[in-house]
Order: sequence, then structure tokens, then C-alpha cells
Amino acid sequence: MGAINLLGIACNWSPFACYNAAGQAGMELPPSFRLMRVMCIGRINQALILRAFEYGADGVILLECFDEDCRYGPGPEVGHTNVSRVRRLLHFLGIGQERLLEKAFAANEREALVRALWEFSEQIEDLGPNPAKPRRERVAS
Amino acid sequence: MILDNPRVKEIIARRNLHMCLECGKCSASCPRYISGKQYSPRMLAHKLIAEPQDRAYIESSVWDCLTCGQCQERCPSGVQFVQLILDMRRELALSQGLMGYRAHDGAVHSWMRIMTSPDLRQNRTQWIGPELKVRSSGETAYFVGCAPYFDVFFAGLGVRTLDIAKDSVRLLNRLGIEPVVLGQERCCGHDLLWSGDQENFAELCRQNHQQFKDAGVREIVVSCPECFSVLSQFMPQVVEGCDLKVTLLIDLLGRAAQQGSLDFTPLEGVVTYQDPCRLGRQAGCLEPPRDLLGRIPGLELKEMANHGLGALCCGNNSFINCDAYSKRHQVERLRQANATGAGLLVTACPKCMIHLTCAMRDPHQDGPLQIKVRDLASLLADHIR
Repeated sequence: MGAINLLGIACNWSPFACYNAAGQAGMELPPSFRLMRVMCIGRINQALILRAFEYGADGVILLECFDEDCRYGPGPEVGHTNVSRVRRLLHFLGIGQERLLEKAFAANEREALVRALWEFSEQIEDLGPNPAKPRRERVAS
Repeated sequence: MILDNPRVKEIIARRNLHMCLECGKCSASCPRYISGKQYSPRMLAHKLIAEPQDRAYIESSVWDCLTCGQCQERCPSGVQFVQLILDMRRELALSQGLMGYRAHDGAVHSWMRIMTSPDLRQNRTQWIGPELKVRSSGETAYFVGCAPYFDVFFAGLGVRTLDIAKDSVRLLNRLGIEPVVLGQERCCGHDLLWSGDQENFAELCRQNHQQFKDAGVREIVVSCPECFSVLSQFMPQVVEGCDLKVTLLIDLLGRAAQQGSLDFTPLEGVVTYQDPCRLGRQAGCLEPPRDLLGRIPGLELKEMANHGLGALCCGNNSFINCDAYSKRHQVERLRQANATGAGLLVTACPKCMIHLTCAMRDPHQDGPLQIKVRDLASLLADHIR
């Protein structure tokens, strides 16, 4: 436990509301999980997901709103396109497409969010560490 | 401080910058300068020699250059400007961690760095169907490069770079060559090299070289001009004793055509041809693509206003510095292509195809910019008998 690095990228609206509620309720989260909050999952592009793997993430999960709940418009759809393309790139690279996942939540689904994180954590632990262990970029960008 | 850095002084001397007469031919021909960007090769030369305390100017200019080589081509004093830029980027990356502004948020550079991991087991050859004959060891290899990755990453543009790889293997098979395609080939590292990341670039070179040696390869055939430039020119600088022969697919086809062993089916219409910088100006390969196109019956090649040694770059290099000025000169290039009356723009580099197709997507420019783009290898593969 804890040997793997999981990164969650959460939309500020529904998924972060779930995350916040889970925290307030004292629900336990996978210990290897770290969260990055963005205003909308549409802000995340292919490069940012790839860079997480370049920097040593073993699994990345995009936590997003349902398509119809997006505060901005096309956010989750942008997420679907990016995830489907990066999953193919991860497959080519031999990192494995199953290391990247996206899940949508409504604002009241804290149990579902926590369950999804635990399931993802178990799945990545079964897979073990990401085979890509390049030299890190010398300067963070 | 650049003034005190002996390595910069050494670069200036090695690349003949002291020979500069400040005649200004470089800036007058620079596509960046002509597009209105505050970038001038002549001024950069001047600052490096006479005003090195202006660090801000020097540091931004070194990353602004497209490395297209137009200035070097025109320079009467033999200043090696492209190499100077490369050396300066390596120096600034090493000493200050600079890496320029990376287009697409650096995704391309990211996957290249990921590929330096020795334990990676890629699934990069699934595009090879039963109609293509390849092998895992032998004397002649085909270098695929980033085509499978570009194909997915740029899917939104509708450019199918993987077709170039498929069609290149088809052409090699037609020549009776069953090439080695490495299952664990790494990217050639061109974009890491030209953005100053020498360390990771060298790692990719070493891994590729080792894999080719392990597969018994002696000659590598490449279709991409950037891969050609790296494998033939830069890999031997990194890998000691590298004796791999690197051949352009176009040269191979050109030789076969001259021996009379190739025949093409007709294509009626006017086409125009984009010289990639690394192929035309830098590798001197200007005639073979034109000769091959000329062998297709019915095809009429019409040159753009800037062609051959004076060809305009596609607007971006190594995925850094894509900006409004790149766009301005891509628009100019597409207008030149359309002005020839051609119905097809033939390129010989996947990146020319990506960048020019991207520029066409401007909704405000619809109409005069649109032109069908195809890679030379694909066109030849479709018309070879």
C-alpha cells in the first residue's frame, strides 16, 4: 500500500463537491491518492495527462461532471475526446490504457466517488508501477 | 551572464559568427522577420557579439528561430546560423533550464521523454497488416518515427500520418525489400534535440542504435526528413562508432526509377510541392522528389513562388514557438500553393502536413486557403505499378 502514485484531476463543481462532502463525513480515501482541482475538466488537455505519467504517476483518474451538468458547456465532452486519445497513446507507449480513467458524478454522489477511487486504486495496485520511468524534466513547467 | 560564459564564446567562434558583415541578407529572407515578428537573425548576431549584456533579447531570440535555414542559405559569409541556434539552445537549456514555448503544451516532448524509459514495451506495430511484408531482423530497416503517435494526437486535424508509414513499407516491398521494423523503436528525438534537451535526446539515440545493432541492421531507410537528419547527422555525434547507413526512401525510389524499374499509373492534374526544410535546404534533396513526381503520367508540377532552396518553412519546427507569426506565414504559403492553380499540395514531411492542414482550419480564411494535402510517399505508392 502506498507504493503507487494516483492522481485525480477533479472538476471544481460536482466532483469536488462530492470530494469535499466525503472529507467532511470523514470517509477514508486511498492513501496513495492525490487530488488536483481544476475549474472544469475541459481545461485538461492531452499534454497535461501525458505529463502526469511522464512525472511518474501510476494511474490518473479524471473526475468530471455529467455532460448535461457542465457549467461551461462542452467540458466533459472535451474530457472524453482527450481521454480516448491519450488512452490510445498510453497503449502504444506500453504504459497501458487502463491506467487512465474518467468518471462522472453528480454533486450528491460522495459515496460513489469514494467507491470509484478505491476501485481505481485496487486496479492500479494490481497493475503495479508505471513502466515509464524517464528522467524528469529538469525544470518544472 | 552570457558575456562571461566561455562556452558561448566558443559557440560564436565555432559557428563563424565573427564572419558576420551585418549585411542583413539573413533578416531580409527570414520568414519570421518578414511575418512581422520582432526577431531578426542579424540583430541576434549583433547582440551576441557586441551587446551580450542584453540577455533578454538573446534568450528570447534563440527560441524564436524556426531553424529553417533560409538565413544560412543566403549568408555570404558562411555563418552557420542553424547550428548556432542549436548550440545556444543546448547551452541555455543546460545552464538555465530554458526550453522555449512548447506548442500543444509539450505533449510531443513528453512522449519522447517517456520513451527514454528502457523498460517500456510499446505496442507500436499494430498498423502492420498482412499486406505489408516486414521482418524482425535483417540488413535493411525502415524507421517509422512518430507516425503512430501523431496519427492519434492529431486525429482532430484529419491528418493520417500513419498512412505515410504504411505506404513507405508498400513502396519498399515493391522494390523487393522486406524491411526490419523494430517493435521497440524509439522516437528519433528530433524535437528534444532542437528544443535543447540533449540528455534525453542522446538516450533515445543510444537505445535506437542498440536495437538496430541487435537486429543485425546495416542500413536504415527513412521517409521522414527530420528522422533522416537526426539518424544520419546527429546520431553519429552521440553514439561512438555508429556505422549505420541512412538512406532516404526518395533516393532509393529515385535510383530505381532511373534504372527504369518503376512505372506509374496516370494522375491528371496540377500539383505543387512543399520542400521540407530538413530535406531541401539542409539535406540538399531537391531534385529526387520532383523527378519522381515528373514520372507520373499526366501530372503537371507547378512550383510555388518560393521553392527549392528558397522554399518557405511550414511555419513551425520541433513543436516550439507556434504563434500568430507562424500562422501568418502559413497563410502566405497556402496562398502561394493555391496561386499555382494546383488541386493537390504534395509534402514530404509529416510535420509540413500537420502544420499546413492546421492553418487551413481558420474559419475566417475558408476558401482561398483550402487545398488537398498528401504525402509524397502515399501519392507514389498509390500510383506505382
